[in-house]
Amino acid sequence: MLSTGSEQLKVQLGADGLTSSSDHNVHTSTIDTLLGELMSGPHLDPDLRYALDSVRGLISAEDRDAPFLTVLLRTQGKRPEPLKDALLCLAAQTDQDFEIIVIDHDADLEGAEVVRNAIAEQPIWMADRISRLEVRGGNRAKPLNAGIHAATGRYVAVFDDDDLLFANWVEAFRTASQRSSGRMLRALAANQAVTPELWPQDQIGFRTISWPKADYPREFDQIAHLGMNYSPFMSWAFPSTLFRKFGFEFDEELTVCEDWDMILRGSLLLGVENVDVLTAIYRKWKGGQSSYTDHSRDSWAWSEAKVVQRINDSVLIMPGGFAPFIRHAMTLRGAHEQLGALLQSRAWRYSRPVRGALRVAGYTKRRIRRLLRRT
Amino acid sequence: MSSEQTLVVQSVLFGNDAHEIVRAAQAVANSVKWARSRGLIGEWKLLLGDCSPTPVLNVLHMDEIASTVGAEGGQFELHSFGANLGSAAGHNALASKEFSELILILNPDAIAGPGTLSVLACALDDGVGIAEARQIPLEHPKDFVAYSGDTSWASTACALTTRAAFDAVGGFDSDTFFLYCDDVDYSWRLRLAGYRVVYEPAARVFHDKRLTQTGDWPASGAEVYYSAEAALFMAHKYSRPEIVTRLLAQFRSEGSTSVLKAVAAFERKRKLGTLPTPLDAEHKVGQFIGDNYAVHRF
Repeated sequence: MLSTGSEQLKVQLGADGLTSSSDHNVHTSTIDTLLGELMSGPHLDPDLRYALDSVRGLISAEDRDAPFLTVLLRTQGKRPEPLKDALLCLAAQTDQDFEIIVIDHDADLEGAEVVRNAIAEQPIWMADRISRLEVRGGNRAKPLNAGIHAATGRYVAVFDDDDLLFANWVEAFRTASQRSSGRMLRALAANQAVTPELWPQDQIGFRTISWPKADYPREFDQIAHLGMNYSPFMSWAFPSTLFRKFGFEFDEELTVCEDWDMILRGSLLLGVENVDVLTAIYRKWKGGQSSYTDHSRDSWAWSEAKVVQRINDSVLIMPGGFAPFIRHAMTLRGAHEQLGALLQSRAWRYSRPVRGALRVAGYTKRRIRRLLRRT
Repeated sequence: MSSEQTLVVQSVLFGNDAHEIVRAAQAVANSVKWARSRGLIGEWKLLLGDCSPTPVLNVLHMDEIASTVGAEGGQFELHSFGANLGSAAGHNALASKEFSELILILNPDAIAGPGTLSVLACALDDGVGIAEARQIPLEHPKDFVAYSGDTSWASTACALTTRAAFDAVGGFDSDTFFLYCDDVDYSWRLRLAGYRVVYEPAARVFHDKRLTQTGDWPASGAEVYYSAEAALFMAHKYSRPEIVTRLLAQFRSEGSTSVLKAVAAFERKRKLGTLPTPLDAEHKVGQFIGDNYAVHRF
């Protein structure tokens, strides 16, 4: 939320007659804002001020010679054709200031050869910027941690081997980075359904069966993301500061949801800059293997619970503009409680026959819908 | 198809970004490299036809392209047409410059995948007249038969056709089509001549199309005009007078500048008697399904 949340806040709270006073915080990362506020005290100990200033400088320092972006392309070599699509999407970027780290995670001999061949056939100007890592064992986070340790870019993005990018994916991130002051960048993605199919020359391919749908929320909502992840992995660019300075790593215990975990922890520390451009397509597989079929329902539930628990165990920095949001959420919670009390009330129970008649007319349904919509 | 064949890769330019053209040339040269290494392609040439009022490429760009193509055993030629011929006439003009057994029709800014030419070359067998590459990131929605790849028509954003097929039907109908549907018409005439038209999903090409934030694909006024004009010509040419009548009424009712301009262009040709001679009276190949020329998957 942060900057974007503030904008959303103004819209949402405007309807309730509230106002936001968070605009002064819009253009810095959350941690930077915090340091600024700590240093603003008139009687701050000079040694502490010096230390805080050093921290600030350390966080904001970046290697100007480094590529703008490191792309971590995670693959197991099981899907040669989507992998080739993915590499072509990178070759076609209008902004080529990036390096690619292809991470072969637990590929078997055949899969590893697929990955090597896909890289080897790239034109020289692409191949020169591709490095390959082999990672054995571990969950989905392990190859990502290997990737962030090898990354040299000022930002890091994760692009799995079966998704697609529009030509302006890197360009849109770079444009946003110039105004984001160290915040995480979140662009827009669509999703598109595909199903496995054998292609004419015996390649194990797929058939695209839907138009890309822009179903994900256009603006990042920190509170909503505490409930679930509404942002596909490739729609993010993480400042490398997160990993190199703050030492963040993907949680290797998680079997899934490693992206959601990093998005939550990172966004709370740095804040988020909305990139209002649709730059990627997340492929949803109907049939065949995917992370949804590779992991059990229990595994998903355990990982989700662990992500939530970790956040719950953490000290959270509230960015400027957050308090009205919480007040608003509490107001809604109050409305829910009032609704619950109403449903338990004697008057409500006694009026059941009347409601039955009204239900026939559809009146109650509309009323309840309106009530729920308001909550 | 396993023996080496000669190839011309041809693109028609109009006001493009020079760097995009250079990058597209680099990508297709890489694709040819792999096809040559498999013995599928022998001698080859890249032909660019510039229809722009001012040249797209300067000397440095041309040197870079020539060097890239030369490194993969090819030759490069640039032809300045001095007028906006459009896609159909531009490709016919380029095809007349050089003989080759295969012709790759390529959008000037399209980035071919490394294996694209190899896959397309292998597809030109068993009566196939043209094989189309799959476009990413936005795949064309037209349906194709699983495994055989047979489809209604092939988009020439990136498609490989045989010279024999091209000559057999007289190339593109540049008298009728300027920008759109020249490829639909070419495909349908190939099918009338007994050739197969196939979609090769393993041959991939990046065509830089984008969506709005809400996932829509907005059409420009020019796109609406040329699509509307081509729709009228297609319906007439493939013996669907009832569709012509319906489209004319629909466009007049809609009343936007773009579609009214298309109606005027059609009526002008009708008065002059320069509309194409109708084909496919028995409707063997022509598919008019809604506003599409094929069954669509989505």
